[in-house]
Amino acid sequence: MTTNPPEETDATEEVFEAAAADHVAAFAERVAGIVESGDWSAAFGNAKVRIDRSRWVEAVTAVRDGAGLDFFSFLSAIDWSNEVAVGEPLAETVEERYEVLVRLSNGRNNDAVTLSTEIPKDDARLPTLVGVFEGANWHEREAAEMFGIRFEGHPNPGKLYLTDEFEGFPLRKSYPLVSREVKPWPGMVDVEDMPSTENPEAGSGGVEEQLPGNAEGVSADGAPPTEDRVEEDDS
Amino acid sequence: MSQTLDPRAAAHVSEVAVSVELQTPGMTINIGPQHPSTHGVLRLVAELDGERIVNVEPVIGYMHRGYEKLSEVRTYPQITALVNRIDWVSGFANEIPLIVAVERLMEIEVPERAQSIRLILTELARISNHLVFLSSYPLELGASTPLMYALREREHVLELIEGVTGGRFHPNFNRIGGVKPAAGGGSTQKMVTQDLPKGFLEETRGTMNRMREICDDLDTLVSGNEIFLARTKDVAIVPPDRALAYGVSGPNLRASGVAFDLRKHEDYLPYHKHDFEVVTGERGDCFDRYHVRLEEVRQAARIVGQAIDDIPSGPLQAKVPRVIKVPKGETYVRAENPKGEMGYYLVSDGGRIPYRLKIRSASFSNLSILPWALKGLIVPDIIALLGSLDFVLGDVDR
Repeated sequence: MTTNPPEETDATEEVFEAAAADHVAAFAERVAGIVESGDWSAAFGNAKVRIDRSRWVEAVTAVRDGAGLDFFSFLSAIDWSNEVAVGEPLAETVEERYEVLVRLSNGRNNDAVTLSTEIPKDDARLPTLVGVFEGANWHEREAAEMFGIRFEGHPNPGKLYLTDEFEGFPLRKSYPLVSREVKPWPGMVDVEDMPSTENPEAGSGGVEEQLPGNAEGVSADGAPPTEDRVEEDDS
Repeated sequence: MSQTLDPRAAAHVSEVAVSVELQTPGMTINIGPQHPSTHGVLRLVAELDGERIVNVEPVIGYMHRGYEKLSEVRTYPQITALVNRIDWVSGFANEIPLIVAVERLMEIEVPERAQSIRLILTELARISNHLVFLSSYPLELGASTPLMYALREREHVLELIEGVTGGRFHPNFNRIGGVKPAAGGGSTQKMVTQDLPKGFLEETRGTMNRMREICDDLDTLVSGNEIFLARTKDVAIVPPDRALAYGVSGPNLRASGVAFDLRKHEDYLPYHKHDFEVVTGERGDCFDRYHVRLEEVRQAARIVGQAIDDIPSGPLQAKVPRVIKVPKGETYVRAENPKGEMGYYLVSDGGRIPYRLKIRSASFSNLSILPWALKGLIVPDIIALLGSLDFVLGDVDR
């Protein structure tokens, strides 16, 4: 049943992948040159260029015109926070800030870049991009109500999804998920060994048996929790 | 009649007609949130001057479920079940970019057979999605016959999807590193004796052959219909530069003449092995948006036909750790979903749940062009444009 592909195919695919990675890095460097930013990265197929907030609109315009990225993919934000009300905290301490992301791409080929800028939490505002891409309108309204970032000069800064009376900014890490506060979710899974698995580290077939977790972290067959067993800490 | 009129009197009448302008007071009407033409709970606040549209403001959020927040408390395999419900008309296609994003960060090589099965099911989801469009769009414009034909065929396609995945709308079929073994297919740890249901390939081939006929039928039924043409030709034209600036993607963008198809540009699934055409329109009107989708069904049937002919054998699942922990990093993976560019910006901190998962859904950006495209048109054009954009409110609101 299992037929291994010929060696050459593997080698060719590796060459292709390396070429694709080079292309992403070269494109990130080119965009960084256009916006005169020395801070760029290209990892996992994602070309990312960081821009100073003071040059935000000017830089996005320059990338649109200079690199031919005329397709507006999305705008959103990340709340970099050391204390989290939901999910898991970061492994390392980070500088508290919001990071605003804009993804632009070319409507004719696979050129694409993520532009990012960082804004302090006590002064969360950024000039609007609606004059550069009309599509930024709704995306900025969403980011504004979800993260509490003010987009200055936005033509229609009202709430988008939420009701006008809604208080708080739901996608901030400090905003609790109320249903989880009230009742811990029973679906937070524990991962069990398959009965037949002799080498627990190998995970040879990659089967994930998801059983309902229990608070003590003891598996269904009574075995003590192992190192990589998922802890029940998510409420 | 005109011969009997005194020429001076006729001139007088025409002067009167010019001087008396029809005055209509401005009016604001509310369409939805419960209205059959809004495809769910979408509310439109329309400012009208008589029959002319001055401005239309969509009010969205009635379906907002907060998937981005919910993803921050779920492990990666659990999020797959969640994202099925974003665009429920093509549930399977939603899973692909998320799974590929996780696999990219974990640097997992997915077996060829699993990739092929993913590709076949994605294209079946595209056909099913477009058949819903091809049935509902003429219905909204007053033609009820195509509904029967298109939905009947769609049922066959859903049966194929159900046969493999067990679900008609929410397959939850992708696993990180591969796909789920089919019911009765045995454990992925052992030699898989049966992964696709018996007779699946033959049945799919038959359904795909029939798909070409049904496309011809629909073409004959709808594309030449005088009423349909009057409602759609040259209505709500979206030029390519506006479409790109608004982030309009998928068939809506291609109808405006931009030959942009992520299946050709990105490598999330092995589309490079298959021979198919990117269908584009010329004017970007409602008719082009309809016709592009009709042709895309033909192309998708072609892709499925090729894929089942040379489906590789081999395992369904790559080796993955039992606890999925995604290494620290960021990536954005986008895919050509039936409705356009769907992508996930995944930020991982090395744990078993994402730190941030931004969901870029196609319908959200596609719908945002509505106020621009409707300015100056008349009220019936709202229905014609809304239907032609083919959005789903779950995909708009997430």
